[in-house]
Amino acid sequence: MIQVSLSRIGVVALRVVRQLKRDRRTIGLIAFAPIVLMVLFGYALSGEMSGVALGLVDEGGHPALRSHLEGIEDFGILRLGSESDAELLISQGRLNGAVVLQPEEVRVLLDASSLQISQAILAAAQSGAQEEAASLQKPGVVITRYLFGYDLEMMDTVGPAILGLVVFFFTFINAAISFIRERSQGTLEKFMVSPLSRVEIVLGYVLGFSLFTLLQSTTTLLVVTFGFKVPMRGNPLTALAVVLLLGAGALVLGSFLSNFARSEFQVVQFIPLIITPQIVLCGVWWPMQSIPEFIRPISYMLPLTYAGDALREVMLKGSSLTEILFPDLLALTVFFLVFFAAATLMLKRQMY
Amino acid sequence: MGPAISARGVVKSFGQLRVLDELTLNIPRGVTYCLLGPNGSGKTTLIRAIVGLLKLDAGDLKVLGTPVSRVQEIYSKIGYMTQHKALYPDLTLQENLEFFAGLYGIGKQEREQRIVELLKMVNLQDLRRRLAGALSGGMYQRLSLACTLIHEPELLLLDEPTVGVDPRLRQTFWEYFERLASDGKTVLITTHLMDEAEKCRIVGYMKAGKMTAVGSPDDIKRQAGLKPHLELWLKDLEGDCARLRSEGYEIEILDGVASLRLESHEQIKSVLEIVSPLDMRLKEPMLEEAFLQLSEAA
Repeated sequence: MIQVSLSRIGVVALRVVRQLKRDRRTIGLIAFAPIVLMVLFGYALSGEMSGVALGLVDEGGHPALRSHLEGIEDFGILRLGSESDAELLISQGRLNGAVVLQPEEVRVLLDASSLQISQAILAAAQSGAQEEAASLQKPGVVITRYLFGYDLEMMDTVGPAILGLVVFFFTFINAAISFIRERSQGTLEKFMVSPLSRVEIVLGYVLGFSLFTLLQSTTTLLVVTFGFKVPMRGNPLTALAVVLLLGAGALVLGSFLSNFARSEFQVVQFIPLIITPQIVLCGVWWPMQSIPEFIRPISYMLPLTYAGDALREVMLKGSSLTEILFPDLLALTVFFLVFFAAATLMLKRQMY
Repeated sequence: MGPAISARGVVKSFGQLRVLDELTLNIPRGVTYCLLGPNGSGKTTLIRAIVGLLKLDAGDLKVLGTPVSRVQEIYSKIGYMTQHKALYPDLTLQENLEFFAGLYGIGKQEREQRIVELLKMVNLQDLRRRLAGALSGGMYQRLSLACTLIHEPELLLLDEPTVGVDPRLRQTFWEYFERLASDGKTVLITTHLMDEAEKCRIVGYMKAGKMTAVGSPDDIKRQAGLKPHLELWLKDLEGDCARLRSEGYEIEILDGVASLRLESHEQIKSVLEIVSPLDMRLKEPMLEEAFLQLSEAA
């Protein structure tokens, strides 16, 4: 029999808020760490993309054109396996354009939103093709296709995901440590001998932490949109809803995993295991296409994969809540429910 | 109304170790009951079994008339204070009390009244806005007790509540517990301190998972066969002692003082008919000696 009283959930939530409110260092970290992270990731990664990022799909037939393109100093060439990869990366704003070499023809894919760069790429491709045609005594066929990219900087694609990462990281760590403390200071045992049920404890935490998640995601959103000029095409409230759902998932995961740590120190050791894979595999810094296929199932089990995707959809494409319902919000909800059940079950098992 | 706690044949083992061994216990309502026993005798385990945190291997345990398997239904009537103190150091005293009051759904007005009353009882009324983490060990203990009492439980289970509390305040605690008992509440306390056990109406001595002696402090002393002693300062030590011995009294002489074992207090009169001491002193047996005796016998 599960008893749930809203007022008791509120009592737990209020307590969590009061405790966190008093912890100035944590509040500082919650508010400022996103900025530091963004500067670090954003600028560091955007430096990598300096110059013109050009994708090259080589299906044979144009060695001269290829070496011509590779010889241009301003171009950073990324070799790709297929045209669809190129299209995707352009639409994500990660490539400025791509050249597809096929024996019969040469297709140039361009990002319509950045005209100057597009012209430079097209000019290079055409001059290369002309040189090649002259030496081969055969006219070169160059087909141009314009795609609608975002005209985004690296920060634009990474910003939304950093928002998710920051919230996940801090909620996870804070929740795990809070639950370890409840256990070590004996309050958890006291709860067990009170009308407060396990479900109420966890829900109270979710509610209390949500306030800080809101604070954190609001400051992060402000920095991302005003400081780094990342567009916010969708409703900011939709983005906050995604972040809250992600934060709730991080909280129940932290609560669940706190059962496997004996001290705060050990919680910190979960970071390489829980946080790092999310960064590497969520498809933001390394596109999903570049992740080996046998690892991809793991990517699809990580909440940040879905949160990052949903946030980019909302912020960059202006998607509404219903448009990100499947698979992103659904996956995040399932993640939350699974670990919510696991966390409440573990609270009981501890006692027997 | 049945007893506050009744246990029959309660068994609980952790692996090979039988921590509660066919334990039988009866605690009536409206008393202060002291659970005494050496370390590892199973006191804390018994309390955790009473609040339903342990699954019993065998036996029958009822708490306020409710079988322990359904004890969660009466959690609002139980106050449970663990040895851990169970407080939030990063909340103020007021906030800690408000939180625990909230768990029991106590309304704001009643809550304020209770907080004022309890903080006064534990003598922390001037520190309401202080963080609990800034309190000394004894103060922390007192706040923990106040948090346990906030919902006016019918049954109080206190695991070593007076550790680190100074003697004068301990006296206040005991007066408060006694008042609770007079109001019909039941207070079960574990302690190592014999002088505290002496203040309880009933003392239960626990050893190796069993209750080996139960009764009022005086009952326990009687069970252990301990008698009061009369110390006599005599003018003619040798002669007076010889006379008393010839009347059948057991006498020991220590540092020039004759110590005489009494069967009952009435004997004092007849002793004084035989000798006229310069001075005398009645020494009641200590509960401690009684338990030493009993635990050796058990």
